[in-house]
Amino acid sequence: MNIVTKIIPFIALIFLVNSCQQEDIFEIPNSLGNEENAFLSTLMSTIDAGQKSLVSIDYVKDLTVSGEATEITSDIVIKGYVVSSDATGNFYKEFYIQDNPSSPSAAIRMLVDITDSYNMYNVGREVYVDLKGLYVGEYRTGDGVITVGELDSAQNRITNVRDEVMKAKILRAATTTEITPLNVTFSQINDSHVGIMVQIEDVNVTAYDVGSPYVDPYDSYDTRRTLEACDGFSKKTFLLETSAYADFNQDILPQGSGTIKAIVTKTYDGDNLVLMLNSTQDINLNGPPCELLQLSDFDTVLDEQFNDAVDGSNFDYPGWVNFSEVGSEYWTEQVYGGNGYAEFSGYRTGDDVNIGWLVTPAFDLSSATNAYVSFNLAQHHLDDEDNNTLEVFVSIDFDGTNVKTANWNKLNVNIPGEDTSWYAFQESGLIDVSSYSGNNLYVAFKYVGSGTNTFLDGGYYVDNVLFLKQ
Amino acid sequence: MRSFLIFFITIQFALAQEKVSGLIVDTKGKSVKSVLIQAPELGVSTTSNSNGEFELPINTKALLTFTADNYETYVTEASPGEVLSVVLQIDASVSENISTNQQLIILSDDELSEDDQASGNISGLLQSSQDVFSRTAAFEFSSSFFRVRGLDTDFGAVQMNGIPMNKFYNGRPQWSNWGGLNDMMRNQELSLGAQSSDYNFGGLIGSTNISTKASEYRVGSRITYSSSNRSYTNRAMFSYASGLSNKGWAYAFSVGNRWGESGFIDGTFYDAQSLLLSVEKVLEKQSLNLTIIAAPNRRGKSSPNTQEVYDLMGIKYNEYWGNQDGEQRNSRVRRLVEPIIMLNHELKLSSKTNLNTNLAYQFGELGNSRLDYPGGANPSPTYYQNLPSYHLAASDGPDYSSAYQSQENLLNNGQIDWNRIYDANLTSASSGLPAAYVFYEDRADDKQFTANASLKTFLTDEVSLVFNVTHQDLTSENFAEIQDLLGATSYLNRDSFDGYAFNLEDPDATAGVGDRFRYNYIFDVGQTEVYAKTQFNLNRFDGYVSTSLKKTNYQREGLYRHGAYAENSYGKGKKLSFNALSGKAGLTYKLSGKHLFDANIAWIQRAPHLRNTYANSRENHYIVGEQAGRELEVEEINSYDLSYILRAPNLSVRLTGYYTKLSNASEISFFFAEGIGGDTSSFVQEISQNIDKEYQGIEFGFEADVLPVLTLKGAASVGRHIYTNDPSVYLTSDDFGYLDFGTAKMKNLRIANGPQEAYSLGFEFRQNYWWFGFTTNFFRNTYVDASPINRTQNFFLDSDSLPFNDYDPELARELLQQEEFGEYFVSNLVLGKSWRITYGKYVGFFLSVNNIFDGVFRTGGFEQSRNANFRELRQDFASPKRQFGPKYWYGRGANYFLNLYVRF
Repeated sequence: MNIVTKIIPFIALIFLVNSCQQEDIFEIPNSLGNEENAFLSTLMSTIDAGQKSLVSIDYVKDLTVSGEATEITSDIVIKGYVVSSDATGNFYKEFYIQDNPSSPSAAIRMLVDITDSYNMYNVGREVYVDLKGLYVGEYRTGDGVITVGELDSAQNRITNVRDEVMKAKILRAATTTEITPLNVTFSQINDSHVGIMVQIEDVNVTAYDVGSPYVDPYDSYDTRRTLEACDGFSKKTFLLETSAYADFNQDILPQGSGTIKAIVTKTYDGDNLVLMLNSTQDINLNGPPCELLQLSDFDTVLDEQFNDAVDGSNFDYPGWVNFSEVGSEYWTEQVYGGNGYAEFSGYRTGDDVNIGWLVTPAFDLSSATNAYVSFNLAQHHLDDEDNNTLEVFVSIDFDGTNVKTANWNKLNVNIPGEDTSWYAFQESGLIDVSSYSGNNLYVAFKYVGSGTNTFLDGGYYVDNVLFLKQ
Repeated sequence: MRSFLIFFITIQFALAQEKVSGLIVDTKGKSVKSVLIQAPELGVSTTSNSNGEFELPINTKALLTFTADNYETYVTEASPGEVLSVVLQIDASVSENISTNQQLIILSDDELSEDDQASGNISGLLQSSQDVFSRTAAFEFSSSFFRVRGLDTDFGAVQMNGIPMNKFYNGRPQWSNWGGLNDMMRNQELSLGAQSSDYNFGGLIGSTNISTKASEYRVGSRITYSSSNRSYTNRAMFSYASGLSNKGWAYAFSVGNRWGESGFIDGTFYDAQSLLLSVEKVLEKQSLNLTIIAAPNRRGKSSPNTQEVYDLMGIKYNEYWGNQDGEQRNSRVRRLVEPIIMLNHELKLSSKTNLNTNLAYQFGELGNSRLDYPGGANPSPTYYQNLPSYHLAASDGPDYSSAYQSQENLLNNGQIDWNRIYDANLTSASSGLPAAYVFYEDRADDKQFTANASLKTFLTDEVSLVFNVTHQDLTSENFAEIQDLLGATSYLNRDSFDGYAFNLEDPDATAGVGDRFRYNYIFDVGQTEVYAKTQFNLNRFDGYVSTSLKKTNYQREGLYRHGAYAENSYGKGKKLSFNALSGKAGLTYKLSGKHLFDANIAWIQRAPHLRNTYANSRENHYIVGEQAGRELEVEEINSYDLSYILRAPNLSVRLTGYYTKLSNASEISFFFAEGIGGDTSSFVQEISQNIDKEYQGIEFGFEADVLPVLTLKGAASVGRHIYTNDPSVYLTSDDFGYLDFGTAKMKNLRIANGPQEAYSLGFEFRQNYWWFGFTTNFFRNTYVDASPINRTQNFFLDSDSLPFNDYDPELARELLQQEEFGEYFVSNLVLGKSWRITYGKYVGFFLSVNNIFDGVFRTGGFEQSRNANFRELRQDFASPKRQFGPKYWYGRGANYFLNLYVRF
């Protein structure tokens, strides 16, 4: 046994010397995020130092020149919150960011050249985009989905930001915030909502599509199914688009009603607004069918169809206020094809600026528990919907004459944009004004335009103003 | 060791004389002169003459000792009138020659990379050979992945103490199970070529039996330290053997450790420990030996790459690793822990009959790890979309800017981005989503039991009979197991690619660290073999006839019910049974003591290996051929060889011609194929059946002692190894089920089995315990592994089953030309010396430098089956750089191995 005691040191030596090869167990790397954090803090300090400036998403969208990819040459940065996810494959090499985690007002699309971006730019992640050197425009020219990316010079459009560029330009902050979807009704959704996460209540799949898969197996790219939602006294429809590459593509569209949370996007050709899901968890249709409001349960306080309009005259319905804030033009009464309506048009007014208000009679909500207003709007010759506008306001302190001294709250209403057909009335849907109970409510339509600038001389129509209460 | 190296102590009874006489030779059969022969009890002695002959007068039975410089002392008992044939063993401790030192280097050096191309490495099998051709093949050709007679090591039979060590899964011996125990693996008995041994029916390229009997080890201790830049960077070993005590006990053990951060290829860490313990009790007529072997081994693997990647990154590049907090972390680790326990009993039933009974149990884990990316981008830095060629092949013309950027990115960040992987998982976890990436092991946990009985008896002095029965039982659990969630919280046990549940029994299961996922099944294997051999040794003729009857049963039991194969994956599948009857015969004609002619003939049936039996055992019960309506039958092999052997005092030569025909073989490969049935892409299993191959060629080796201190040696192998028919090919996949592709035009294509021509010329110089050797080797006719599917009708048929309207047979021929890798030279040198400190204590060193001129050469490669039809392949060839060109392995550049040892 003596030999054994002699050799023990050798054996010990043999087993103690190795320590340099790969471990069995690894911890989460300490250096995780260091590089990215360094990029971000550099960016933030240049913003703090005034070398770069933080601008709104709307500002960037406004830099877009139709049909072109526009290079961002100034030192501007946008901040946004990721709202879409490619985890299920429904979105591909793209994600949308909106300007606020709740009550967003604008969103923009980022085109990136990576798959599975969801595990980097996750929903709710705060991101900063250092725009200098990137491009803004459209991926599919003319679809109206404003996108940040690199330049596809061959087609003068946007292409995906390459991985390496992305790491230097689209920087994540540490924070991930819960996104509160914007509550809307189908009739409220418009172009300004593209890229925003919205939530709609009382939705169901149309009877025709219930039981079908999200994607028709014969569709190579995507399938649109029709949703409908109770919207006051009638149902409104909207399209749900799903990519053939979504991993829930063969899931069956459920029966039942409920809420749906989705991103507003556009069809391939840009002709229609659609909803797209991040995942089927965002569709929650297991409630009973929604109930339409019954007209018989309501008192119709006002149902003004302007059938007594005198074509071409200044608007002078009793109880209404027709106020010209700037310029000499007023709202007018019009009749076309037997239908009367109110119009404000800047065409050839001669004024550089026209601002005109049309205010309804008071809506007495002193004893109302539920109250709704609705109206139909149309436009024609609209070239610049951002500067030639119609806005809808309500006030409870309007004295009946002095428009300018009252406090006006803007209503979230779907206004006909440049892309809508001229003269085609669209319904506002029932706008819930129950929260103003106990007051006299006035609704005002405010036109802004120009009689000298032909880009700003479009006209807006108002018709079928309805006040209901219960 | 002594006992077996004395092969034949041919006891001849001559007329009663008052003397003993005989011939003394060394292990190469060369006569040994100046041997001191003593009979200490009688006080007489003599020395052998220049022919190695001796006579010693004795009048009674006495112990004789044979002593000579450089040889181990040999002791035997002799009676008057006996004529002895004594084989002296070179004393390795005094004059460790080149080959014994090379044995210390080769074994278990490369064998761990078995799942890439080192699979055919024969150095372990042939290392103990004294045949000059075989030694050259083992030590000079093996680094070029040369294969003896073109055959895979599944045609070599390895036993340990009579227990078969070839694995059922692929038929190959798992060398790393006893890696790092070189000192204890020296006692080997090798039968070359197709010969059957006393232990085993054998294969076609040799059969070796390793003995770990404690009493047979050389007494003493040995410490070895080695340094290398090949696979490990450091090795330390200690071994000790007690010798046989008065009470009949002997024990021996060895411990070793091999380690390194990186071998020749970047990121290939090495971490292996080894232990062998052998205890023997010897009684008068019997002995019992217990052996315990444990050699846990972990190693970072290296990637084959396309030429585009080698051009950018060099031949040391390995895409599998990446930095994690400044440490290299390899994403593919091969891990093996399969301890062996053996009990070997030897019983001398009579002076002519021995019965060996052996029991062995081997159990443990084989793991190959990798990254799974169910919710993330492919982490491979050389994923085809990350390479310049991808951008150069853009559909609207080469995108040079992106190509440049991807090139720069590869050059600067061309490794696994572990931080991105962790970030992805942490990000997903924060959103309550399952893992985007996991690090997991493909596991095969085996439990194998072997019982074996072997009877050897001399019917007459000339004729012996071996009868051997072996039964083996294997239970192999195969599954994937998560090793590291990499920051994620769970893994959803579903196929992220096509949505199938991996296990319908629990379809929404999530898996964490240590949990099984993806697939989970058991292979049950039983095999019984009866083997008999008779051998005769006459004056002019030696010969043998052997036969083997083998019954092999396979059964798969699914522990998961796969979503795509709900009715054919769960529970026990049908039991397969293969009966294989084989026979061999060999004859040696001794024209004279110098000139010998040797012929062997073998007719072999064998069950397909497990890996070639099930179409896709991870997902279903289907057997190879089942979906195509074909039976899976035993493989049939016919082989013939004829040798001329010259054994002159200063020249030994062997010249062999061989012919082997292999028929009815099956092969399976797995890959991601684009262009299956027009334009879809899927992960597929490609099953080739009824493959016929033919191997023919000549082997030549010589060794000439041109001066007492200088030996000239050379070897050559010239082979032609081809497919001789067009095998049937079909594909299976989750996505499309089964697709028949008819036959693949493989006939007359070369088999990808390393260089089919190899030549070696060198010399060894020895003086004053110095050794120096230099060898130059020349290789050519190495071919790329041809993809069968590219040679089926799928290659030219469009989705409507009509030929592509732009199909051009001439161009197709060019596109499908099998690539030959070109010829190259590799020069190796060895240098060594040993010193005796005091009696019985030695120190020495041995240095081996391979590829001293740092040549760059391809040792193997395979065509990627990704681009599976004419249009896609044409487009790939038309690109400035091929995206889906073959993936290659390169040989190591200049590399060394230094061995230092002390023996005491």
